[in-house]
Amino acid sequence: MASEKIDNTYEDPTHRAPLVLGEDGSFQAVSDRISSVVEVPIKKTAKPWVLLLLMALSGLALLGGALTDLIVTGNILPGNPSGPAGGAGTGRWGLNHPVGWAWDITGFVFWIGIGHAGTLISAILFLFRQKWRTSINRAAEAMTLFAVVSALLYPTVHVGRVWFLYWVFPIPNQMGAWPNFRSPLAWDFFAVSTYGTVSLLFWFVGLVPDLATIRDRATNKIRAVIYGIFALGWRGSARHWVHYERAYLILAGLSTPLVLSVHTIVSFDFATSVIPGWHTTIFPPYFVAGAVFSGFAMVQTLMLIARKAYGWENLITLRHVENMNKIMMATGTMVGYAYGMEFFIAWYSGNEYEGFAFINRAFGPYSWAYWTMVSCNVFFPQLFWFKGVRTSLGASFVLSIIVNIGMWFERFVIIVTSLHRDFLPSSWGYFRPTVTDIATFIGTFGLFFTLFLLFIRVLPAIAISEVKGILPQADPHHHDDHAHGKEAAHG
Amino acid sequence: MSKRGPYPFQYGLDQQQDEATPRQWRSLDEYANAKEFKEALAREFPDGASELNGSSRREFIQLMGASVALAGLAGCRRPEEKILPYTRRGDTLVEGRPLWFSSVVPFYDTAIGVTVESHEGRPTKIEGNEKHPDSRGATTAFVQAQVLDLYDPDRSTAPREKDRVANWEEAIDALRKLGAAQKDKKGKGFAVLTEAHRSPTTQAQLDELKKQLPEAKVVRYSPFSRWASREGAKLAFGQALDAVVHVEKAKVLVALDSDFLHNESSPVKNARAFADGRRLGDGAKSIQNRLYAVEAAFTVTGASADHRLRASSRDIGRIAAAILAEVGGGGAGAQLDAKAQRFVKAMAKDLASAKGESLVLCGDNQPPAVHAIVHAINHALGNVGKSVEYVKPFSTDAEGPAAIVELAKAMSSGEIDTLLILGGNPVFDAPADADFAAALGKVKTSIHLSHYVDETSKACGWHLNRAHWLEQWSDARTDDGTAAIGQPLIAPLHGGKTDAEVLDRLLGGQRTAYQLVQATWQGQTAINFAKVWRKALHDGVIDGSAAPRVTPSAPGAAPALPPRFDGIEVVFAPDSHAYDGRLANNSWMQEMPDQMTKVTWDNAALMSPATFRKLALKQDGSWVEITVGGPNQKKVKLPALRTPGVAEDTIVVTVGQGRTAELKVGKGKGFDTYPLRTSTGFGFAAATASKVSGGAYDLAQTQEHHVMEGRPLVREANLTKFRSNAKFAKEPDAHNPELLSLWKEHEYTGHKWSMVVDLQSCIGCNACMVACQAENNIPVVGKSGVLMGREMHWMRIDRYYTGDDMEDPQAVMQPLMCQHCENAPCEQVCPVGATTHSPEGLNDIAYNRCIGTRYCANNCPYKVRRFNFFNYNKDMNELRTMQYNPEVTVRTRGVIEKCSYCVQRIQRAKIDAHRAGQQKVADGSFQVACQQVCPTRAISFGDLNDKESVVAKAAALPQQYQLLAELNIKPRTNYLARVRNPNPELG
Repeated sequence: MASEKIDNTYEDPTHRAPLVLGEDGSFQAVSDRISSVVEVPIKKTAKPWVLLLLMALSGLALLGGALTDLIVTGNILPGNPSGPAGGAGTGRWGLNHPVGWAWDITGFVFWIGIGHAGTLISAILFLFRQKWRTSINRAAEAMTLFAVVSALLYPTVHVGRVWFLYWVFPIPNQMGAWPNFRSPLAWDFFAVSTYGTVSLLFWFVGLVPDLATIRDRATNKIRAVIYGIFALGWRGSARHWVHYERAYLILAGLSTPLVLSVHTIVSFDFATSVIPGWHTTIFPPYFVAGAVFSGFAMVQTLMLIARKAYGWENLITLRHVENMNKIMMATGTMVGYAYGMEFFIAWYSGNEYEGFAFINRAFGPYSWAYWTMVSCNVFFPQLFWFKGVRTSLGASFVLSIIVNIGMWFERFVIIVTSLHRDFLPSSWGYFRPTVTDIATFIGTFGLFFTLFLLFIRVLPAIAISEVKGILPQADPHHHDDHAHGKEAAHG
Repeated sequence: MSKRGPYPFQYGLDQQQDEATPRQWRSLDEYANAKEFKEALAREFPDGASELNGSSRREFIQLMGASVALAGLAGCRRPEEKILPYTRRGDTLVEGRPLWFSSVVPFYDTAIGVTVESHEGRPTKIEGNEKHPDSRGATTAFVQAQVLDLYDPDRSTAPREKDRVANWEEAIDALRKLGAAQKDKKGKGFAVLTEAHRSPTTQAQLDELKKQLPEAKVVRYSPFSRWASREGAKLAFGQALDAVVHVEKAKVLVALDSDFLHNESSPVKNARAFADGRRLGDGAKSIQNRLYAVEAAFTVTGASADHRLRASSRDIGRIAAAILAEVGGGGAGAQLDAKAQRFVKAMAKDLASAKGESLVLCGDNQPPAVHAIVHAINHALGNVGKSVEYVKPFSTDAEGPAAIVELAKAMSSGEIDTLLILGGNPVFDAPADADFAAALGKVKTSIHLSHYVDETSKACGWHLNRAHWLEQWSDARTDDGTAAIGQPLIAPLHGGKTDAEVLDRLLGGQRTAYQLVQATWQGQTAINFAKVWRKALHDGVIDGSAAPRVTPSAPGAAPALPPRFDGIEVVFAPDSHAYDGRLANNSWMQEMPDQMTKVTWDNAALMSPATFRKLALKQDGSWVEITVGGPNQKKVKLPALRTPGVAEDTIVVTVGQGRTAELKVGKGKGFDTYPLRTSTGFGFAAATASKVSGGAYDLAQTQEHHVMEGRPLVREANLTKFRSNAKFAKEPDAHNPELLSLWKEHEYTGHKWSMVVDLQSCIGCNACMVACQAENNIPVVGKSGVLMGREMHWMRIDRYYTGDDMEDPQAVMQPLMCQHCENAPCEQVCPVGATTHSPEGLNDIAYNRCIGTRYCANNCPYKVRRFNFFNYNKDMNELRTMQYNPEVTVRTRGVIEKCSYCVQRIQRAKIDAHRAGQQKVADGSFQVACQQVCPTRAISFGDLNDKESVVAKAAALPQQYQLLAELNIKPRTNYLARVRNPNPELG
């Protein structure tokens, strides 16, 4: 079967197309295929992986350099101004008055947005019984975690006095000094930390049966012990499975509101302010849609590479690719609607500052960023209306990258164009990034990919047990379906 | 000291302090013979002195009076300064409480009285002196910045003979030898070049020198002075006279190329009088004066004018002649274009309708002939003796650009072989045709007394380091002759000497500056010098020292004007940062944006957009080369900047930047334009300008967008509209429904601090910006920082161009600082609660708590919050740190800062009130820094809960409005709308 190309994107109303194609009809083959990536001896690690890891580590080193430049010494990176006596400071980035946030918070929202797809896939699609999710949910959740780590880096280092960041935490102290609970930044802290914690738990719970699989397959003691510890004594008994399924369901239920709440609260950073272009009620749903949009784009990018590199075409099928493209098209259209509605409200409100902010966005000094955003997020995803584009791996890959670029620009446009020209024309300014800005941003990719590559190497990147559950042959009516499927494929 | 017996100055000891009428300082008559001050008598001047209130003020007077009385009586005794340990201090000195001393700052051919705040012996802040007629409590930005100059690490620390560092003993020895040698020659071949100084003591020494060395030459030269006006008076009246203008007595004012509100005449006095004449408060519905400005550059005065006519500087003379003819002063008038003709006719009619109550002022950059015409206009209008009075010039020494050219010629020809230069920097700033550097090279002996080893010092045989006016005894007269004593606030940091001391040494004397100043005044006081002296020091002004008024004869026929030249003209103005170059090393001044162009750290070729296009220039900062002069052509290349309001075919350049001396701050900043300035084209000159290819220069502006975009930010109306609808300024907010608050608001049961900024009065002179910087330890960020948009000023003055014609707009000014919103957007978003509301309505920042998210700055609709992107105080020179105000935290990297309403002054006033047993701080018992310095009194501050307070009354005026009040942020700062008083005939 595997040798034959099956088009599972074909919609036959009488017969469900297989969700995954499986590996030669054998459950064992699925385990082998996925676990082999983890079990390869270090010396036999795939060369491309090593190359990618080296690239990611370079990015990580760049991040270290950028942060040292920013916080510790200054003057490591060239081409940007320093204080009168040299030295480090937030000014190593290109921020100014009036633009107090630029690439830092853009990066924060960008990464948090990317993190969204993970929870959406693992929780919401789980509750909606969208079983195709199982092939991609593990990697998507891992991506979520690493995106949250990358995202958290920004608010951590963007403050002027990093060493006092812990004052944002509600730590009881003898002075009775608490965070300001009216501040959306304090809400951010709770929202993101809750999200990160629940995502981690969710991911880990889902990993337990697979960790046990690796443990059981282990050919050496060390691997058996390490994976054994994290497998938490999983024996695969029916009782274990019952508990597992319940825990998973509960966590899915807990995570679902978080998908909506995190980006809603992140959007409050802007929506509760007085700045025209920030102060809008459309932000929560608009941000959530945008986050799902960007998250799926990032999953698509990563999965397209992984499925090719590790030969997972039968587990992450073309149907997965197409489904994700459909979601991107839907959410891309939603953000497009939001862009239009922002303009309408800006005009309809009759507020001159609001009106100006949007005209300035589209036709002001940052219009290049605005039109980049609109093209990437609204125009290009419309290509997904064509099935040929939707099911083309190359086009999907290119478009997923375009969407990622567009969503970064969306945050940049919202943050910077609103700040650079607000109420008083006397204080209008312009933001230009410095080398340190760029290095920090590239560095977060280094961090993200380092973590993701390590994840792929040491943990099963596809949920083995779950995928087995949706293999065609796991279905009691498998053989009937199979026949039809084959017919359909040839027909 | 202790060996001396008691001193017999027991007069006036019984007078009681008048507590009911608080004054800055008590009369010296209150000198008391308290025993505990005997100790302090030994001191030349006490380390500590007045505090503004309570018993300690009395004690200060005792101390002050005692010490100066002693000094006065001690006669030739060399004053000694002894350091008392703090364990044995006088009662006036309380650590942590500042003291104030009066002094006087010589500046631009006049002087301004000040009081200087001193913390533990360190002068930290200059404030105006209420009692001084030219200050009345206010100063200019230039004066404010001078406290930083005192602590400039680049100041010269020792005399030098060529490049060898010498000491004062050697220098004095050389001076004595020189003096002795000159006495033999009766001073033949000897010349003294001074600044346009105003010191009677220095002048007395010069007069003595001229007596002893009759052949010696004395020349006065400063790049900016009232020389042309005096020469003009000579042309008109037959004698050189100094005009003393009384703006308060004028109902119609005409400024012909004159920036009299900001840079010329007595700007602080003028600005105050001008603003007083148009204040709309307490039911006053009329403006008492109307200002017409006819000018080439767009100046602060032009921005304040009711009518402004753009005219080239070369045309001002003909316009003046036309006015003279119109007002019946004779002359043939002049042919003007239609627009100017209409303007002049209406203006002359207005002038004629206010005979004796009008005033025409002529700018320093105009030649004496034009000044003569203007003197004649004022005479024809019957203003002489009323709005303009004349006094004999301060000095009869040769002055002006021609005099220094003549001196340079004599130096080149060998006629002068010995030159003593007291202050100034002629190698840098003398007219180009003097070629002073070359002439100086021919002089055998040259000595330069200077604050810095500057361009001139390097070219001289000897450099002597000069004492700052904050370091030594001095005196100075204002334009009408009113004198004040400058008392030192600190011992000379580098042992410098004053002009008078150097002259004294030259003539073989050995008197200290203190003795020299005393000697000057002792000779002029009939009886009881000690009493006069003490009162002079206390008040900061010498009563009755104004010069007698002179009534000039009727002016003769107006002198002929030179023929008009075509093409481009270049107009010279003092630099808003460096002035004539002397403040080039002052980082506060360099970073203070130009009043009109908002350029920092640089100067540029300012031209109207049309001229800019004519020269085919591409963008602001494009290079332009300006050429002046016939055979000895001088060229200067500098960046061009479009400046609306500048006359057609006029390029305005400021001189003073582009220093080449070893100045850490000033060297290489901006462009030296002095090479274009000759003695014949001293104010303006025919020039050619051409585009120079090669990119554009970065000009760091603090404001890059210059129009209001139709937003109701600065609200203004004409007088007729104001009369029919005094509440016009509230119209933009009128449609707002009652706005609600999400939470219970503060109640403000105690004080409720508020500020009112009167846009009607504000002229946009920037004095407040620099005062704020000095008071609040605000760092400078350098040109690169300003280019990045990171300037730290807590308050700024927004300047917007208004009107439809962007070639010839009007301009409005709006000081903007933290508005202390009651419903502050910044307070709600700080995650750590570092910025919070005080029960008195201040929006406070706890710098210690701030972690630097910058969220508050983003959410501030006024964009007044400033972030320390770096540690701007890192590795600060120790000398420089002496200026810091110890009552204000020096901020570190990574925290937000902004206007605190001078919370340290509020707290001090509260403590004082508490100590005096008062429940509340009385209105007017303190002033915030920007309020104090404001020449026009545009800023009032006080308690809104006190219904009788100045600020409460101002806030209740009909023209009051709040900026961005529609955001429901409830700003605590109020603005008073601006009202212009146009001539109905000009529409």
